[in-house]
Amino acid sequence: MSFEVPAGATLLVVGPSGSGKSTLVLALAGLLARDVPGDWTGELTIAGRDPRERSAASGEVGVVFQDPESQLVMDRAEDDVAFGLENRGWPRDGMRARVPEALAAVGLTGLERRRPTTLSGGQQQRLALAGALAPRPAVLVLDEPTANLDPDGTAAFFERLAALRGAGETTIVLVEHRVDRAWPLADHVLAIGADGGPIAFGAPDEILRRHGGRIEAEGIWLPGRARGAAPARPISASAAPFVVARDLEFCYPGGAPVLSGVDLAIEPGERVALMGPNGSGKTTLGRLLVGLLRPTAGQVRLGGDDPARMPAADLARRAGYVFQDPERQFLARTVEDELTLGLRPDERDGAGELMTSLGLALDRFAARSPYLLSGGEQRRLSLACILARRPSLLVLDEPTFGQDRRGYEALLAILRERVAAGTAVVAATHDERFVSDFADRVVEVREGRVTPGGAA
Amino acid sequence: MIQRIDLAAAQLDSILGRASPLLKLGVAIGWFVGLFLTTEIGPPLFVAGCVLLLGWLVGRVPAMTLARGLAPLWLAALTIGLFNGLFHPANTEPLAVEVARIGPFRLTEPALVAAAALAARVVAIVAVGVVFAQTTDPTHLVDALVQQGRVPERFAYGALAAYQAIPRFAEDLTTLRQARRIRGLPGSWHPRLLVGLLVLAIRHGDRVALAMDARGFGSGPRTRYRRVRWGWPDVLVVVGAVAVLVGVLGLS
Repeated sequence: MSFEVPAGATLLVVGPSGSGKSTLVLALAGLLARDVPGDWTGELTIAGRDPRERSAASGEVGVVFQDPESQLVMDRAEDDVAFGLENRGWPRDGMRARVPEALAAVGLTGLERRRPTTLSGGQQQRLALAGALAPRPAVLVLDEPTANLDPDGTAAFFERLAALRGAGETTIVLVEHRVDRAWPLADHVLAIGADGGPIAFGAPDEILRRHGGRIEAEGIWLPGRARGAAPARPISASAAPFVVARDLEFCYPGGAPVLSGVDLAIEPGERVALMGPNGSGKTTLGRLLVGLLRPTAGQVRLGGDDPARMPAADLARRAGYVFQDPERQFLARTVEDELTLGLRPDERDGAGELMTSLGLALDRFAARSPYLLSGGEQRRLSLACILARRPSLLVLDEPTFGQDRRGYEALLAILRERVAAGTAVVAATHDERFVSDFADRVVEVREGRVTPGGAA
Repeated sequence: MIQRIDLAAAQLDSILGRASPLLKLGVAIGWFVGLFLTTEIGPPLFVAGCVLLLGWLVGRVPAMTLARGLAPLWLAALTIGLFNGLFHPANTEPLAVEVARIGPFRLTEPALVAAAALAARVVAIVAVGVVFAQTTDPTHLVDALVQQGRVPERFAYGALAAYQAIPRFAEDLTTLRQARRIRGLPGSWHPRLLVGLLVLAIRHGDRVALAMDARGFGSGPRTRYRRVRWGWPDVLVVVGAVAVLVGVLGLS
């Protein structure tokens, strides 16, 4: 892999799951030797120096990672921005002047004393950006910084990024899967193939014109391309809804209601998208529908029964739920154990085929640890574990996060097949492409209330 | 569920809030040691009363907050008192004055006194802990530990990052339990949950450590954004601590 980016330019790095994008991020940050066992050959210089020579210490490279929660370490917003400056030995007067500047640059003035965990995901990620910017890095590296954000949070983040790029003080390296917003910011694009080798490097227009086909063939997203038309919804023969929620309310002990007055009916074979900002109650609603939470008031009926009171073994065949963060639902040591956990013998053959169609063939993946798969692979494994029981209702929390185009298309194909067989699918999602490709009804969740919504 | 305490600005800006957390910790430990040396009922109750009063007046902690913080303690004090009262060796002493007889148990006066003293100590220790927690900002505590207590920074800031993650671990546990249920596995508890929780904690810790390293942590000498200095609130805390101590000595 060879490329060269002039100071002040913006480089966009794209590639399928597992192509080594994150490895490149660590290499640029001078953290590769620390975190990944392996060999390094060739030459990498940032402002004329090898990043392994403690560039993290010098403040030449600032990094923003994907997950906001695991990169904010201090208990107050301003302290978190100052953290990187303290580590680099800035004098106190310099810090006192620089911290407000960095917070202003990301639009967080006024939130200095807030505890980071009380900020929204979008604010947290901009706080992480402020922390990375504070030491005035020569290079700013961003590893899928908006993957966990809602559309408003993503828009606000990219707005700040565009301003930074306009100022031209920092060279920006942006790693992204979904490039609709990132593409217009790029001065150069580096496309990496599934084998970790480069496909192309050049100006964005030239890349699209000369290498677009090859890049798409590798399963990489390109801006605004190839939107599959949503198939017309099959007219369901049964008029009786499979899921009925009536006047549903939920609050955590001692808290204000997360949801209230929710009425919702879902027929077999329906494809419903739950949309709305983070924290609006989408996840809570999804978990109520499958009986993982018990409503404070109102009721849920799943095929006529209360899902929160069903024995687990019955529930698992009637409803499935795929959590947003796949790692947090893994319960076994190997991929095969994870898949077969709680499965009946007659469900196992189907499970193997399912894994193959999701690109996780058991002859290659069976003995691997679920935790060591790539993000996209983890997500598909967690989906397979649920689909294997062929539940009649499938609830998915952000199913397309971190998926490359190939993973996305595999997901769509399987969901469409299940829907055709009568499964109702409810997906909480921010992904507008997924909604237009898949959903036939959009339910808006805002501040704990639901508008039943019309056709997508 | 494990919850973090959120402190109001009034509590943080109070005299107790501005005093060095390290000093408050020292005073608390001093009192704890003193309380373990006494077997009487009066001194611990006196300490508890003083601390709660000071927490309310000088620490600006709302009375309701103090009451809520103490709520689980009454049960603990009661259980500890009850068990120690019932199983105290003095109960087998034929000369001891019998107070009550419950089935096979004989309850005597010296046992009752000893049990009450023990319960009183539990009350005092929890009261001190609640007031400390309600007037101490975690960042302030860590800054004081590092700057005044010379605690290694790697340890102190690592602990602060871990403290940040407490609500996350609670969420992890909930999610893992729900993941079991939706996979059709019966029962809400299983040893495997702890393994999963541990794996998630380690992976989260790893990511946090990576992010800290990416921001140059541990790469050389650090400077401090916030300086912790001794000041007059510290003098007042020392005066208060000594006054309470004198009061205790006067009592016993």
